Amino acid sequence: MNYALFEGCNIPVRIPQYSRSMKAVLKKLDVTLETIDDFNCCGYPARNIDESAYLLPSMRNMAIAEARGLDIFVICNCCFASLQKTKQVLNANTQLRNKLNLILAKEGLNFTGSVSIKHFLTVLHDDIGTNKITPSLSWKFTKLSVAVIQGCHILRPREVTLFEDSFVPRITDKLLEILGISSLDWRGKLECCGAALAGINNELSHKLLQEKVTGAKAAGADYIVPICSYCHLQFDTTQKEMTEPTEYDTILPVLVYPQLIGLCLGLEPDQLGIKENNTINQAHIDGLLALLGPPVDKKKTKLKKKTVTC
Amino acid sequence: MNFNILLSFSIIVCLLGLIFQFSKWFTAGISPLPLPSVGTRVLSCCRALFTTIFSAKILTLVRAFFVDVVCQKRIFDKSLLRWATHTLIATSFLLLFFLHALSGIVSDFLFSDFQPTRNPFLFLRNLFGLLTLIGIGLATYRRLACKSQRLKSAKTDWLLLVFIGSIICSGIFLEASKMSSYSTYQSMVEEYGALADEEEELALEAFWVHENGLVSANFKSAPATALVASGQEINADSCIECHASNRSGFMSYSIARSIGPVLTFGDGAVQVTFFYYLHLTLCLTFLCWIPFSKMFHMVSAPVSLLIKAVTKSQPSGLANSLNSQMIGLSACTHCGSCSVECSSNMFYESFGNEFILPSEKVQYLKKIAAKQLTEPQIIKELQEGLYVCTSCDRCTSICPSGINLKELFINARYFLTQNGPPEATLLSHFSFPLALANNFVDDHITALKEVTELFKASFTPLSAKAIPLTIGQADTFTENNSYKGCYSCQRCTNICPVVRSYSNPAESLGLLPHQIIYSLGIGDLDLALSSQMIWNCSTCYLCQEHCPNQVELCDIFYGLKNKAVQSIKTGANI
Repeated sequence: MNYALFEGCNIPVRIPQYSRSMKAVLKKLDVTLETIDDFNCCGYPARNIDESAYLLPSMRNMAIAEARGLDIFVICNCCFASLQKTKQVLNANTQLRNKLNLILAKEGLNFTGSVSIKHFLTVLHDDIGTNKITPSLSWKFTKLSVAVIQGCHILRPREVTLFEDSFVPRITDKLLEILGISSLDWRGKLECCGAALAGINNELSHKLLQEKVTGAKAAGADYIVPICSYCHLQFDTTQKEMTEPTEYDTILPVLVYPQLIGLCLGLEPDQLGIKENNTINQAHIDGLLALLGPPVDKKKTKLKKKTVTC
Repeated sequence: MNFNILLSFSIIVCLLGLIFQFSKWFTAGISPLPLPSVGTRVLSCCRALFTTIFSAKILTLVRAFFVDVVCQKRIFDKSLLRWATHTLIATSFLLLFFLHALSGIVSDFLFSDFQPTRNPFLFLRNLFGLLTLIGIGLATYRRLACKSQRLKSAKTDWLLLVFIGSIICSGIFLEASKMSSYSTYQSMVEEYGALADEEEELALEAFWVHENGLVSANFKSAPATALVASGQEINADSCIECHASNRSGFMSYSIARSIGPVLTFGDGAVQVTFFYYLHLTLCLTFLCWIPFSKMFHMVSAPVSLLIKAVTKSQPSGLANSLNSQMIGLSACTHCGSCSVECSSNMFYESFGNEFILPSEKVQYLKKIAAKQLTEPQIIKELQEGLYVCTSCDRCTSICPSGINLKELFINARYFLTQNGPPEATLLSHFSFPLALANNFVDDHITALKEVTELFKASFTPLSAKAIPLTIGQADTFTENNSYKGCYSCQRCTNICPVVRSYSNPAESLGLLPHQIIYSLGIGDLDLALSSQMIWNCSTCYLCQEHCPNQVELCDIFYGLKNKAVQSIKTGANI
């Protein structure tokens, strides 16, 4: 399987460990992610200003992927929603598509709408499949509880993102379950991290973030696992900035999914850039490694097979 | 005599220009903070230099000099074409400058047997000329081919290419006209030749006509082979020691051969003088122009690259950060690499504002730093360009001159907010990375307040409306009609995480989500736009997802924000 990796603007410069760990994990699962330097911003930041300026960048990105015959693999939720939204708007509105295609034509690009936009969770859960992932795991967590924050723009509006049930999402929990991790049921799971308000109303943005941090801690989370890159920056950077240095040990540490599955696939913490998360220290890493146990599922299936043969 | 006066004049102009440019490094700057005094800046620079040279950092400096400056690794890593172009022009032109233009000093010193007419010098001069021209060809090709990728070329960019090309071409023509000129030939024979009689003279001339591209009235047609052969012997005795065959000057020789007769109308003396002065004037003008053009990057770009390597783009203190900012600004060559890879490139296509492209911003920031730009309209456009930036830092990582563009743009953004009303674009997600980076927090908040006030003043809030409200025109908001499905259940407001964050939401936010939808329902767009709720919407889409009647609240809020920005920008009355 081959995909064009869409990193967006935040990941390469602010969370490079997210895409690095993702590439390492997918390589283990025989999926190649091609880096395309020509990709530009997804358009999301301009949405408050001008809807058509919001659509054009994603259209160009899709046209580039189409020209290379690749589907787009997205990490960031906001990029994902922008690409999905643009694709739908342009597929429905031929007039707008033709008008914007004239701009792309200057560079010899053309958007047809044939490209598929895949969120990494969909690729892992559906395209690769948990059935294929489970046997490749060398380890499984014996006892780990995390709070997932799904991020708004992967779930809603459901008719745009076409991801899964926006009220009761299951994919992330399932993907954590196969690693032996229990995903807590907590209030902030499907809610907003406050990122969209950062720089516009910092006070409100911080309030929304703090609400989630407190909620996840109260639910008993060892770690918070944000899916979206904006959520990641809120929890991993802003949370730390909001905390007094003397209180750093109260910070809720952040891990991303490829880092968790990467450990279970036998990859080293350094390969997964775990230490590059601002909220993670060596003690966290040692603790995580100590929690890794043999992949129990394998034994179970073996046992079952044995009973059959007997 | 004339030559010496002209040369001295040009050198003086060049030196004065260099001093002027160096002084700007320590006097000008763009920052929202007050600029430190010149003394502080020079001292900081000296201290930084001292601590670098007398520490282990000197190794980094030496390494950066070879890797980044000499080998231009930053360009090599990004594009082989650009690297080849730069290397061809820079290396060949510099070699011509030292070994040809400064031959009296450099070449005489390095080579005991130096004569411009001997080989390999004659050949190398032509070779370097050709390589420079190939480089110019590649640069022209790149500027034309990348035009569709938003590479902007200013008149000065083309002028520079034409300028360097003209210097090389005038030199080639000068050499070609000398080769074919009869008067040049005669004066050489008089000075160096020891010829016995007219017969020998004629034989030598025949050989030079045949072999070296000389055009002589004595040989209208090709000279006889026997005569050429005896001329060759005389040439071997008298000339060859100091004058290689003109064929090794392959470019000028080809020109002398092909258009020699045109070049040597008369005895060729006028043409030689003409090309001599043309070549000289171009070279000296170029020398004067260096400090005032982007050619100054020959001095500033290496300095900028070395600073980048040593400081890892984090100069210590405001003074040094401003010094390196000014060095950076003077090192920009308008190569446009940043704009070609700019992540905001499509916003440029949508908004048509050239300042969205980093390379174009830099050109005007130079003027801002020099306090030459005060036109409000341009400053406004520049502000928009500075805000419509995703902070992806690609421009900073790609810049071949190592300019810290990221830092420059941050400073410029907040410097300009002090000099006029801030951009409405501040209220967009472009502000997210700005907030994350925590730069000039107070300036950012002040600017936010100003923009918010601007919006408040532009639309009439509920408190200022005559009660009871009247029904306005139908269909004032055509972007999204789903508001018509609202049946007032208020589920949107009840589920909104923003509303629940305030103890008195109506006071803090103006209208609440359901009220905004009502406002559209009664045709009062102005009222809907007056609500601070739309700017405080966290875009989590919970309201839209939970609406039992498919009102697309979040999308409607986006539409309202677009409309509000548009009306502020154009000053239109909704």
